[in-house]
Amino acid sequence: MNTFDLSIVLSGQYHEWLVSGFLLSIQLALITLVIALPLAIILAVLRLAPYAPLRGISITYVEAIRNVPLLAHMLFWYFGAPELLPPPIKSWIYQHNIEAVSAVIALVLYTAAYMAEDIRSGLRAIPKEQMEAGRTLGFGFISTMRLVILPQSLRVTVPPLISQTLNLWKNTSIAMVIGVGEMMYQAQQVESATFRGFESFAVTTAGYISVSIVITLLSSWYQQRYPVRSA
Amino acid sequence: MLDIIQTYGLYYLIGQYPNGPLGGLLMTLILAASALVLAFPVGVLLALCRISPFAILRVPVTGIVYVLRGTPLLMVIFWAYFLLPTLTGQRTDQFGTMLAALVIFDGVYLAEIIRAGILGLPRGQMESSRSLGFSYLSSMLLVILPQAFRNMLPSLVNQFVSTIKETSLGYIISLSEVSFVASQISAQLPTKPLQIYALLGLTYFVMCFSLSRFAYWLEKHLAVRSAKV
Amino acid sequence: MQTNRALRNHWKTAVLALTLATSASAWADQLSDIKAKGELVCGVLGTDEPFSFIMNPATREIVGYDVDLCKAVAADLGVKPVVKQLANTARIPELQQGRIDLLAASLTHSKEREALINFSLSTFITGQKVMVKADSGIDQLDQLAGKKILTIKGTTMEQAVRSKLPTAQIVSFDTNPQALLALQQGKGMAYANDETSLAGNFAKLADAAKDYRILPQNLSTEHLALGLRKGEPAFQEQVNKTLRDLESSGEAQKLFTKWFGPDSNMKFASRSFKIETDNIN
Repeated sequence: MNTFDLSIVLSGQYHEWLVSGFLLSIQLALITLVIALPLAIILAVLRLAPYAPLRGISITYVEAIRNVPLLAHMLFWYFGAPELLPPPIKSWIYQHNIEAVSAVIALVLYTAAYMAEDIRSGLRAIPKEQMEAGRTLGFGFISTMRLVILPQSLRVTVPPLISQTLNLWKNTSIAMVIGVGEMMYQAQQVESATFRGFESFAVTTAGYISVSIVITLLSSWYQQRYPVRSA
Repeated sequence: MLDIIQTYGLYYLIGQYPNGPLGGLLMTLILAASALVLAFPVGVLLALCRISPFAILRVPVTGIVYVLRGTPLLMVIFWAYFLLPTLTGQRTDQFGTMLAALVIFDGVYLAEIIRAGILGLPRGQMESSRSLGFSYLSSMLLVILPQAFRNMLPSLVNQFVSTIKETSLGYIISLSEVSFVASQISAQLPTKPLQIYALLGLTYFVMCFSLSRFAYWLEKHLAVRSAKV
Repeated sequence: MQTNRALRNHWKTAVLALTLATSASAWADQLSDIKAKGELVCGVLGTDEPFSFIMNPATREIVGYDVDLCKAVAADLGVKPVVKQLANTARIPELQQGRIDLLAASLTHSKEREALINFSLSTFITGQKVMVKADSGIDQLDQLAGKKILTIKGTTMEQAVRSKLPTAQIVSFDTNPQALLALQQGKGMAYANDETSLAGNFAKLADAAKDYRILPQNLSTEHLALGLRKGEPAFQEQVNKTLRDLESSGEAQKLFTKWFGPDSNMKFASRSFKIETDNIN
């Protein structure tokens, strides 16, 4: 066994691989977050909609997605689903970065399902009377949601959403199975090129944890700055 | 899809057994169940340290919990893969590696569930037990934990669902659980990835959905019972 | 930087202690260990036809050229062969950590790997080539510059592509069939692998094979061999003796014909090498 020597992963080519992986992981997480959040809000609102079919769509979505591991989602959205597309569209997206696109699709669907549940609990924490009062004042369901309920539920909802973001950050690592060059993929590449698993994994672990710490700190800052007001 | 199940169904369910190691869906279930059972004592221990009055126990364990919660499970698996044989001097196979990673990872999450379960009980329970002459440890084991256990049953079932989903990462170290077997079948039938991966998703869905429904039922059921009491 | 060096020394001590702890259990000679436990654990890929793969879904048994070599070594030792499936990237760590006794996993004997493990006599010699779609208009390796090339994690292919085609974009998968699937689906321009594995893929493609082509130029020449842990001369000599015996008895030729010959899926006309040396130049 070689002695532990970080220099090999702290400079030069292998360092570049790991840094590019780190940046790609961050990009995956950010892009996913930006798309998943609105989707989650729509799903949560649908879940409380006055029409049963709309509620049904939301429930089916959340249950179908949450009960399947992300790894299976990745394999399905990369190897399986694109085959259903018509050939011209298929060959167009295959020319582009299909690996990252499939990973983002899987991550968005998965993250949105969890976030939708958090937002729903947040919305339910607001007393029913608020909705009724809004409707009585002549606002529609959507406007009452947007103007009355959503803003109030924010304080309750943000902390669990931040912890979902932490999960999202960790989940980006699973994209390695479909050849996305994110941090975990690069860690394994460096390991198999240099046979220095300890060094490569130590640096990668530090990368994951440091971002996780930032996210955790953000959450505690928010909870201190905007404590939940009890009714 | 039916012809796939007909030809490869047995492989999907039990792997290469009996002509080779056990695998497939059965392996997934065995792995998830043993991980949860072994993680439970780890979780209790970590939870007790987390709420311990002694900083020497509380601070390092809290640190470990935070570090592990900030690390992807995949990373934990890789570490287990490299460190376990070095630390224990034992030759651990893929199953052992995955099991160890899951026990550590789930132990941390269980610790939080158990901690919440313990903290959810009225303080008076511990105090009255202590005043009856029980020590801290026996009050914990005989009075607090059994009550907390009942309250956290639904969370435990949900954790089992998470564990089943987590076992899929065994795929990455060629552990022949159901996801790996699915990819092996896809290798035999290169034109059918859609059907095979859809079948894989459906399999997980059936297992996990029924379990999470069970957790939900349990929650309602227990809530009714404690309301009666 | 003082603290940094202190930290590094600290690590060195820790690693040294760990190394001692592990090597203590491996003190005994591996050959007598294997005989004592009565089984030889061989690490195989199980996803690489015809070296090691599942041929019959009913028995679900892993068979192939590598598996037969493992069985031959076990038979000479009078022990039971145990076949264990490994991920590409796990091959060398699994061997180093002693979870397996012998690597029979489509393993290329390379200079870089010599620092980590030992190799038996070369058991197969093949070229690394690339497969493209017949209608891609590509018939030279050079045309792949800047294109997306599919390959497999933790293999010598990655290095070969990187050195021959530095501008190509490499996407690596866990197994060979996944890389083939990605090529089929058009997710890359070419797929690089050992010629033998490519021939195996061709067989799997069946009727669709006419839509694919293997470029004639080699990315590199690959000497495949069995992998052994370092510092086990007795076991290594035993393995090489088995291999030499296979060659002299004509058994090696039979194995080649069985898995690669005209009646196999591979349809190789003849054997262009002999199992006789571990020289890879």
